[in-house]
Amino acid sequence: MAPTVPSPAKSASPSQPSGKSEVADLKQQLRHLAGSRAPDADDQRRDVFKRVISCMTAGIDVSAAFGEMVLCSATSDVVLKKMCYLYVGVHARNHPDLALLTINFLQRDCRDQDPTIRGLALRSLCSLRVPNLVEYLVTPLATGLKDPNVYVRMIAAVGAAKLYHISATACLDADLPAALKALMLSDPDAQVVANCLHALQEIWTLEASNSEAAAREIETLYSKPVVFYFLNKIKEFSEWAQCLVLELASKFLPSDNNEIFDIMNLLEDRLQHANGAVVLATIKVFLHLTMSMTDVHQQVYERIKAPLLTLVGAGSPEQSYSVLCHLHLLVMRAPMLFSSDYKSFYCQFSDPSYVKKLKLEMLTAIANESNTYEIVTELCEYAGNVDVPIARESIRAVGKIALQQYDVNAIVDRLLQFLEMDKDYVTAETLVLVKDLLRKYPQWSHDCIAVVGNISSKNIQEPKGKAALIWMLGEYSQDMHDAPYILESLVENWEEEHSPEVRLHLLTAVMKCFFKRPPETQMALGATLAAGLSDTHQDVHDRALFYYRLLQYDPAVAECVVNPPKQAVSVFADTQSTEIKDRIFDEFNSLTVVYQKPSYMFTDKEHRGPFEYSEDLTNLTVGAEATENVISAQRYQENDNDLLLSTSDKEDNGTATNNGSSASSYNAPSDLIGPPLLSSQTPSETLLINPGGPTNSLQSNFSLDDLLGLGAPEAPAAPPAPALTLNSKPVLDPGTFQKKWGQLALSLSQECSLSLQGAASLMNPQSLIRHMQSNFIQCIASGGQPPNYKFFFYAQKDGATVFFLVECIINTASAKAQVKIKADDGTAADAFSALFQSALSKFGLS
Amino acid sequence: MLQCIFLLSDSGEVMVEKQTTAHRVDRAICGWFWDYVLAHAAGDASKVLQVVVSPTHYLFQVCRNGVTFLACTQVEMPPLMAIEFLSRVADVLTDYLGDLNEDIIKDNFVLVYQILDEMMDNGFPLTTEPNILKDMIIPPNIVSKMLNVVTGKSSNLGNKLPDATASYVPWRTTVIKDASNEVYVNIVEELDACVNREGALVKCEAYGKIQVNSSLPGVPELTLSFANPTIINDVRFHPCVRFRPWESSQILSFVPPDGQFDLMSYRVKKLKTTPIYVKPQLTSDSGNCRVNVMVGIRNDPGKPIDSITVQFPLPPLIASADLTANYGTVDILADQTCLWTIGQIPKDKAPSLSGNLRLEEGLTHLHTFPTFQVKFRIMGVALSGLQFDKLEVKNTPSAPYKGFRAQTRAGRYEVRS
Repeated sequence: MAPTVPSPAKSASPSQPSGKSEVADLKQQLRHLAGSRAPDADDQRRDVFKRVISCMTAGIDVSAAFGEMVLCSATSDVVLKKMCYLYVGVHARNHPDLALLTINFLQRDCRDQDPTIRGLALRSLCSLRVPNLVEYLVTPLATGLKDPNVYVRMIAAVGAAKLYHISATACLDADLPAALKALMLSDPDAQVVANCLHALQEIWTLEASNSEAAAREIETLYSKPVVFYFLNKIKEFSEWAQCLVLELASKFLPSDNNEIFDIMNLLEDRLQHANGAVVLATIKVFLHLTMSMTDVHQQVYERIKAPLLTLVGAGSPEQSYSVLCHLHLLVMRAPMLFSSDYKSFYCQFSDPSYVKKLKLEMLTAIANESNTYEIVTELCEYAGNVDVPIARESIRAVGKIALQQYDVNAIVDRLLQFLEMDKDYVTAETLVLVKDLLRKYPQWSHDCIAVVGNISSKNIQEPKGKAALIWMLGEYSQDMHDAPYILESLVENWEEEHSPEVRLHLLTAVMKCFFKRPPETQMALGATLAAGLSDTHQDVHDRALFYYRLLQYDPAVAECVVNPPKQAVSVFADTQSTEIKDRIFDEFNSLTVVYQKPSYMFTDKEHRGPFEYSEDLTNLTVGAEATENVISAQRYQENDNDLLLSTSDKEDNGTATNNGSSASSYNAPSDLIGPPLLSSQTPSETLLINPGGPTNSLQSNFSLDDLLGLGAPEAPAAPPAPALTLNSKPVLDPGTFQKKWGQLALSLSQECSLSLQGAASLMNPQSLIRHMQSNFIQCIASGGQPPNYKFFFYAQKDGATVFFLVECIINTASAKAQVKIKADDGTAADAFSALFQSALSKFGLS
Repeated sequence: MLQCIFLLSDSGEVMVEKQTTAHRVDRAICGWFWDYVLAHAAGDASKVLQVVVSPTHYLFQVCRNGVTFLACTQVEMPPLMAIEFLSRVADVLTDYLGDLNEDIIKDNFVLVYQILDEMMDNGFPLTTEPNILKDMIIPPNIVSKMLNVVTGKSSNLGNKLPDATASYVPWRTTVIKDASNEVYVNIVEELDACVNREGALVKCEAYGKIQVNSSLPGVPELTLSFANPTIINDVRFHPCVRFRPWESSQILSFVPPDGQFDLMSYRVKKLKTTPIYVKPQLTSDSGNCRVNVMVGIRNDPGKPIDSITVQFPLPPLIASADLTANYGTVDILADQTCLWTIGQIPKDKAPSLSGNLRLEEGLTHLHTFPTFQVKFRIMGVALSGLQFDKLEVKNTPSAPYKGFRAQTRAGRYEVRS
């Protein structure tokens, strides 16, 4: 009887077991069946086993029946064995003593004639996860690796990795990695080879930080002979193993262009694979290989476009989102290359809204002179969409396109048509956009103002839209006939206005209006200031007070502050810096892309690295603890990959990042500037009105320290004159640095302090970089935002090839620096450390 | 790598829990996930993102027929690998069990455990080819049940290991028993189209698949060629297809797996026209909205177009709807969509749906306009125009029977109003 046939014993449905009494009942039945030699005993056992497992699945604790299950496990029925293995695998860990009972029959099964049973038993044996049973595991594993049957070898290879997780030492002492490696390079079966590779990667990656041998082994995995060995066999592998090989290939550094082309020719047909995972892994290899060859890199984009677009359209909806995220990344990097495929990004009604959102972003990015008309026409259709958030997004998208383009004539018309649609959220979104447009293209003010003037502020409920309207009323009060009166009516309803943002805008708008049309606004201004002064919101109150005193001090100055001559904004700050985009790109074909954040931003430090697991609830096994300590090398390597952008890149990005961060701090108090936008060209406005940029917060940190009595800038005692002299012009390229950093052991790690002036003057990484350069210590990469900065420095001993590599993390708030030094020559590390610290402590004092 | 796979019912109940690595995942994660589903998609797991980050794990999920396949990992990995794998698990289980739903999974959970055990080891996908799996774990079909009864053998595990694990064509077992010596090739196309508010065809693409059902003895060599391969824009192949012949002369040369499989999928973009037209008109004033939808044949494919339906969501803020059609049936479904089932277009009249939507009090105009989703099916024609040239079968003892078919159906065919 097959297990699918409903049996009479199953009268109590397995999905609704009754709990404790059921377990007791099952125990009873098992005990009864244990010694039974009745001809149908196996069938009965099977029924009971099924019920036990169904209880287990339903979350009922059936561990009490462990002993009985083991007693019943002596059987020749394979399905029974499988069920028993499953049960034992789940519960052995909590019953290590009883698990010992199972070892016997598992070991016997490992020597069975039938390879299926040998394989299954070996797999179960490795899944017991009981540390003190490890000794029973090693021999069957070693035999399994030499088994004549493919199935058993396949399982044994993976089993070795499992053993490593239970007890790393047992695995290494038995020299299993070496056996795996031999098997990997010689076994005729592709799946065995793939499993060996998988196991070896897992073992050596985790082991790399403990032993240099393992780190070297990893290097050999990525070496040319091994990578080419795998690539040449790639068609023999299963699709999943192909992914593994492709991942390996993407980390391989070819020595010359011929190798790159060889690999790409070999892998080109993988782009046509039915499995999306293989296609994406191949794309990653292509992108990484051609990183340094701009022309070829572009051709790669052209080549991978079609497969990606097909995957998006033809794959299951589940796949299409992940693929779309990757496509999104590529589109954002090279919008021009996709500009002719704009139709592929049109939203379909049946797309889920997260897909629509991605598509809208891509449409926005690829809009250029040739396709703007079609794209904007399409986007305008979405504005009437049933899905309100998408309707909003599409209006914003139209606005963004308008801000990108020079020929905005048609777009402005469309936006103004939105205002006539008479739907409140459409109007609100459009107003915000019209405001931004006017800031960039003041020449359109006449057309816009005519339409905006017709909008009654009473119809707009959303604070952002209302604020935008009020901004326009203030800014263009000279052109809008009844601006003072509209503002006046708004002021009358001050109490009913719940959003502080709107009230802030109202304050400023009335001020602006006052300077443009004093007689009509004077009354309103008085009322506004009075209302503002008695406002409960701190920002509103403060700004009202500020205006009041400013007017009191000198109206002319007040006018300069409120109505300065403005230049049109040419560039709006991007929300995501190019640096972050680059990092995401480096992690192509990973979760990173789906989240659109580099992994350091969404993963815990503890939860990173390809094989790094954390035991979240139970921390029982030795293996798990070892894991925690072991991964660090891998993690750092990854970290460093993230950070190792060349210094020159950094300089450009630095400003972008700063802007990004300050945009958020400007958010609340800003009246003249729409929250997500920041103009670098209106410094007078921003500086005067917005307190609390990064500069100020730094200073306030400093003064806070002062108040706490840490004030006096104490220069640390000068370290003894260093016996070490440094080469004034060392040369080290980022690639070599990265490699060295990965290879060398840590010579020194310590905390040291900066002078307080130093900490305070460290407003961007460049200042420290220049300072350290004057001490012959070069920076290769830097990053971070206040108050945390991270630097990678290097220096070379004068007249020798000895390099010193430094990772330095500085917290300006505490004026402390974490320094990690790695050196080619460990003995000189101390001397260098002293030199480095003295240089660091002098920063800011000169 | 995937640490654990759960199968959840449509109420969030754990039906199967399969731990694959030494790092156990507590099933509390399923509770967390279900709360997430309740919060973000009102309990419909198919509507949440496929990749979800929980406080402790990254979760991948694929939802089929109310069964959610949930996989957990704590490490960085290619997301598509997880999603493809879960889809494959779902496909394999459907193949084994005939269908996929909560009851079937619960009745066959032992089989599900066995299959999962072979499909994944230590968090890494292992054997996912249905042909090979079926050699290892015999599916619970009637034949095997009969056999069991007759022979008294009560195991559904194959008594010998698949030969294919050692073969260089992993998708094919070397010994095919009782093959009926026939091969069927089937083109299935889906037409995606988008018509904008002005009635212009914005986008029209066909996604096609070539399905092969092969039942041939030995190791047959097949070559399939097309009359017009140049119209194809992008192709994806089953692993059995050799790349070189396609590259050089657009010929599909392959050794097929036994049974049904997708030989190739392709995309044909920039089609010029759709076989039928759907013209919706909505005009609204003083609280009423007149609806008129016309459907007719635009471009006769030469074969009957059947199963035509037009479906659209009723706009929000509608007080009442009164819609009738001169042909076919009109139903207002529970989720506030109107389904107009036409079937075939009659020869003597043009089907049209008309009626009135009464807007809610205080509204004069309709602000949101529905999108009409059109479905149809045409047997015997591939609308992209793709045609077979010939199919050669070599290496079989006798000439097999060869069958060809084609079919097109509407995929995402949307008409905006």
